[in-house]
Amino acid sequence: MKVLSIVGARPQFIKAAVVSKRIREHGGQERLLHTGQHYDFNMSEVFFRELDLPEPSHYLGIGSGPHGQQTARMLAAIEDVLLQERPDVVIIYGDTNTTLAGALAPVKLHVPVAHVEAGLRSDNRRMPEEINRIVADHCADVLFCPTETAVRNLEKEGFTNVVHGGKLIAEELTSVGRMPAAPFVVNVGDVMLDIARQVQARLGADPDRVQHVLAGRGLKRHEYVLATIHRASNTDDPAPLRDILAAMQEIGRRGLKVFFPAHPRTKKALDRLGLLNGVDARVLAISEPVSYMEMIALESQARVILTDSGGVQKEAYFLGVPCVVARDETEWSELVDAGWNRLAGAQTARIVSAVEATLSEDFTNKERIAFYGDGHASSRIASLLTRWA
Amino acid sequence: MTKILLIVGARPNFMKMAPLYWEMVKAQDLEPLILHTGQHYDYAMSQAFFEDLELPEPHYFLGIGSGTHAEQTAKIMVEFENMLVKNRPDLVVVFGDVNSTLACSLTAKKRLIPVAHVEAGLRSFDETMPEEINRRVTDTVSDLLFTPSSDGDQNLMREGVENGRIHRVGNIMIDSLIAILARLDRDPRGGTLEPWGLEQGTYVLVTLHRPSNVDHPESLARVLTYLDRLSEKAPVVFPMHPRTRKNLETFGINASFRKTFRIVEPVRYGQFITLQRHARFVLTDSGGIQEETTFLGLPCLTLRPNTERPITITQGTNELVDMETIEAKSEMILAGRWKAGQVPELWDGKTAERIVKVIGGFESAKS
Repeated sequence: MKVLSIVGARPQFIKAAVVSKRIREHGGQERLLHTGQHYDFNMSEVFFRELDLPEPSHYLGIGSGPHGQQTARMLAAIEDVLLQERPDVVIIYGDTNTTLAGALAPVKLHVPVAHVEAGLRSDNRRMPEEINRIVADHCADVLFCPTETAVRNLEKEGFTNVVHGGKLIAEELTSVGRMPAAPFVVNVGDVMLDIARQVQARLGADPDRVQHVLAGRGLKRHEYVLATIHRASNTDDPAPLRDILAAMQEIGRRGLKVFFPAHPRTKKALDRLGLLNGVDARVLAISEPVSYMEMIALESQARVILTDSGGVQKEAYFLGVPCVVARDETEWSELVDAGWNRLAGAQTARIVSAVEATLSEDFTNKERIAFYGDGHASSRIASLLTRWA
Repeated sequence: MTKILLIVGARPNFMKMAPLYWEMVKAQDLEPLILHTGQHYDYAMSQAFFEDLELPEPHYFLGIGSGTHAEQTAKIMVEFENMLVKNRPDLVVVFGDVNSTLACSLTAKKRLIPVAHVEAGLRSFDETMPEEINRRVTDTVSDLLFTPSSDGDQNLMREGVENGRIHRVGNIMIDSLIAILARLDRDPRGGTLEPWGLEQGTYVLVTLHRPSNVDHPESLARVLTYLDRLSEKAPVVFPMHPRTRKNLETFGINASFRKTFRIVEPVRYGQFITLQRHARFVLTDSGGIQEETTFLGLPCLTLRPNTERPITITQGTNELVDMETIEAKSEMILAGRWKAGQVPELWDGKTAERIVKVIGGFESAKS
């Protein structure tokens, strides 16, 4: 089985790392294509080293640009690679422009596409990610869902070939039966949980490292809020970004320091708007993006996490840290229903009061339902693809 | 004034866009602008179609040209995005299922410009057809979905599209067809078979252009051999796409056919409709022609394993054939044993009017 994995943005490197390893274990030949969508050093090469992901066989060096241009350049370049590599299947991850281009190019060449993290919906079609997700799902032949909610979303969109009624399949695939005709939908659990488990194990074996990370940032366990903001809806217009930054400062002034590793796009917007002037670093510390291991270490020790990222919401849940989401909706709605997430939009007062409400609640023994499977999603993906392709 | 950008890229788009353009010109508060991506571009053909449809020169021309699917789609996205940045419209309207439809709907949507898709909801359920991908993707991103018939509504609802986005307005191609039929009737010179030396109701009109029929040496040779034989019973006229003609040479197919089997240059819209309306029957693999023959009540054989326009079979005069069944079905038609068919609901020449009404409501709801 010849697999071409297409990645380009931070969360995709992380997901591809664990899946790649399993594919190699299953005897699959995998080539990695890196579109270059995120080209900042901290955002990519560091991850390759930390996560043991093989070097990309193809680097497209696309870089940033308007959506149309970025997607277009990837589309043409990915097609070239496909014609050269002729893989049996292409794997795409998540919901970025890389995902979109990685779906459209192969589908027109009749190369099967497997989408990892299929079926997520925020039901906000003004989010570029939502468009990317929907299009990728409708091009895909194999739709690997992380949750049952995701399976149900796809059923609503007319997908009828659903393996095992949308429930998590058995790891040895005994619940799969005969392979259904493509396109088919299967709940394999969330790859992010696989990774979180692995990273937690590594950090658990090396408690000094966590301490070292915190000390390096001048932070203390449970005495800070970790913040990540990067969505276009929060960074493209001045108003939401200004409001979110004001909320961070207010939270800091009320006594809980905010640590905010800023995504390059966010940093650029902050600079452009001059919002960094007069920020008191004792209240709100803004840093460069941090490595993945460091991020998990920081997440694990935070009192609350404030984020607009989908991946961080789940990492927080895996680590048992409550989350305030700086958006009006989330594709991980089960976390809101379970009370681990609070949606706060991008208004200062709402964010501050959501953080206060979270602080007033005791999460120590709060139940965590296994929405995301059992941490073996990647091995299910690899064995299913081996059987199918 | 609400600025509306109408996107065309290939010939079948022109006939769908023209009636809408004129209806929008009539509406006082809409400013329709035509953008031609140049996806299929042959100046003479494009110009001739614009003339026959009485359209002005496109307001914008992207000059894309041909390429692989990804290349072409990519080029359109880049140029279209540049254009949108400079001249942001209030609404983008895309037609049908070509690469321009896909590229422009995606690009506009990412810039948060609302998108309307005319001829939404069609499905062949054949994912190997690039058009099927274009249709599905365009429908998933569009805000307004204008369907030609109820099967389109059902396909969209099955895909979970909310009711509020679906508007059944009828078939806009039929608006164009009705208009040109009236013009041909007014101008007797324009609508005769004289230049062709053909007699009304006696000949077979053929249009084939899909890769599955014309891009494989064996399939192409097989169908041409059959048409040559068929022409003994009824003359056959085949306006051939230049690409197919090139295939004939590339594949080394001997093109010395009977005199009654004529392969001719592509013809303009008015000429084609004249040839079509007076034919005994039509053999095609095109989408639009299945619909036109249903409107005209003319027997149609579609050389494909499936169609995204099933209503032309269930209600109209169309049947699917393959190389095994084509002869028997042709014989049936020539023997006068063919279904009469009926014109589907809302294929009445008023589709553009209904679309403009919906767009008016959509625009006023926004403000």
